[in-house]
Amino acid sequence: MDNQTKLLDKKTIHKSYVRWMMFNLVATSYEFLEAFGFAYAMEPVLKKLYEPDSPEYKEALKRHAIFFNTEPQLGALITGITVGLEEQHASGNQEIDGDFISSLKVGLMGPIAGIGDSMIPGMLIPILLSIGMGLAGGGSVLGPLFYIVAYNLIAILGSRYLFYKGYELGTASVDLFVGDVAKKVTQAITVLGTIVTGGVAASYVNVPVNIKIQMAHTSLDIQKILDGIFPSLVPLLVVFVSWYFMAKKHVSPIKLIVAYFIIAFVCYGIGYGIMAL
Amino acid sequence: MLLFQAFLISIFCYLGALSTPWLFGLTGGWYTLSRPLVSGLIIGIIVGDVTRGIIIGVAVQAVYIALVTPGGQMPADLNFVAYPAIALAVLSNASTGVAVTLATTIGVIGTIVFNLFQVGNSFWNHRAATAIEEGNERSFHVNTVWGPQIFNFLLRFIPSFLVIYFGAGFAKTMLNSMPKYILDVMTFLGGALPALGIVMLLTVVIKKNYMWAFFLFGFVAIVFLKLNMIALTMVAVMVAIIFYFAISNGNSSKGSTNGTDNSSDSGEDEEEF
Repeated sequence: MDNQTKLLDKKTIHKSYVRWMMFNLVATSYEFLEAFGFAYAMEPVLKKLYEPDSPEYKEALKRHAIFFNTEPQLGALITGITVGLEEQHASGNQEIDGDFISSLKVGLMGPIAGIGDSMIPGMLIPILLSIGMGLAGGGSVLGPLFYIVAYNLIAILGSRYLFYKGYELGTASVDLFVGDVAKKVTQAITVLGTIVTGGVAASYVNVPVNIKIQMAHTSLDIQKILDGIFPSLVPLLVVFVSWYFMAKKHVSPIKLIVAYFIIAFVCYGIGYGIMAL
Repeated sequence: MLLFQAFLISIFCYLGALSTPWLFGLTGGWYTLSRPLVSGLIIGIIVGDVTRGIIIGVAVQAVYIALVTPGGQMPADLNFVAYPAIALAVLSNASTGVAVTLATTIGVIGTIVFNLFQVGNSFWNHRAATAIEEGNERSFHVNTVWGPQIFNFLLRFIPSFLVIYFGAGFAKTMLNSMPKYILDVMTFLGGALPALGIVMLLTVVIKKNYMWAFFLFGFVAIVFLKLNMIALTMVAVMVAIIFYFAISNGNSSKGSTNGTDNSSDSGEDEEEF
């Protein structure tokens, strides 16, 4: 790929990156999802490569206005690769035709979405948020400010790097994410995230057991006894049982929310009932 | 005053929506402005009580710490949680427990609006496809950017504004006259609902049962060792580094004998660990 012809100038490539990052979800429908965001990002590039109003231009733009869905920030890699491939296609590389570009996009969007969703909203954001929430104790502005700066720096610099790596290396850049080292780094970061999640659970889940049993001379406070053995044991059990239903029985989050509401209303109802007697 | 506050908060509500492009797409919008931690700060500034805004923001954030939305499927509309719901809680002086329950309820109802947006955009998408077919650049832009964004603005701004402007006083009176039974339940739910946010995250990260050991490690470090979140994160980074080298060494010794088949290798390593 060293001897490929460069038809695009820096400004056009950058414009495509900015358009992708801004407009990737601009007009999402269940039918097309990110299709038109992608086409909109490719427009400056295609305009440079082909005469506007030429059949080639129209065909190229149409090729990108089809169903596309991935995690947009990690997906900057796919946009970068596509810009590089369109450039080679326009410069007359016979091996890279329109079908090749389309099928490459379709082939990459699934894996990148999988990795992206589990790494960004599933890992990076929870880790940064839990640090931010820790710093926000007592209402300190430091918490939200930390999150705003840290997340945006990582996401913008990261996606920019990915886009340009994709453009320069083409399909070879995908190895950055599916290679063996990448897999192990992912596993290690998952360990980091899981530990932090444990900390978040201990800090923010609060399920008090307000049962006090009146005896002849003393009263038995169940919560106090539990605290003596294992503080936050009940929250831990609630997390475990909810996880079992969501992960193993495939109960949706909304159904679980409803279940929580019903259980809370019933338990407090019984409690108030007993007190009224 | 409330009119102006409701107006400003609702503008932020639109800016933080999933499809709004103006703050570098979902990076600065959805993943920044629509995090309750951040919206708590913004609402706090607008209503003039930053501390309160952030405290409520943190409490609500715990429920939505890991909201993954694959393919635009949403279990809760975090944008409506972050703006009208938190604004309502701050303006009506709700306790954090009540705020969390209120926000969760509004979040579930809000998914209707999100679905409406996704369905409605089919109309613009087909017009944009026709515009490309006809080579009409202006129409392509109008139907890709402006049409859907005006639609998005109306769907975000109007409900948010109405809920804040007409709901604030109503919520305050309602919370004051609410029976103790309901308030107790709401406070209880406010403590329990964060479990769901954590569970959503765990369904993503726990692929192998041994990962529970790491979760328990973090849990115990807070409960018994009394670490704070920052200290815990630092410890977790070190454990992750050790873990990385542990799985790397396991593989390099095997890699020399059976070469390229990495996928089965790492699978075995995970079980051995």
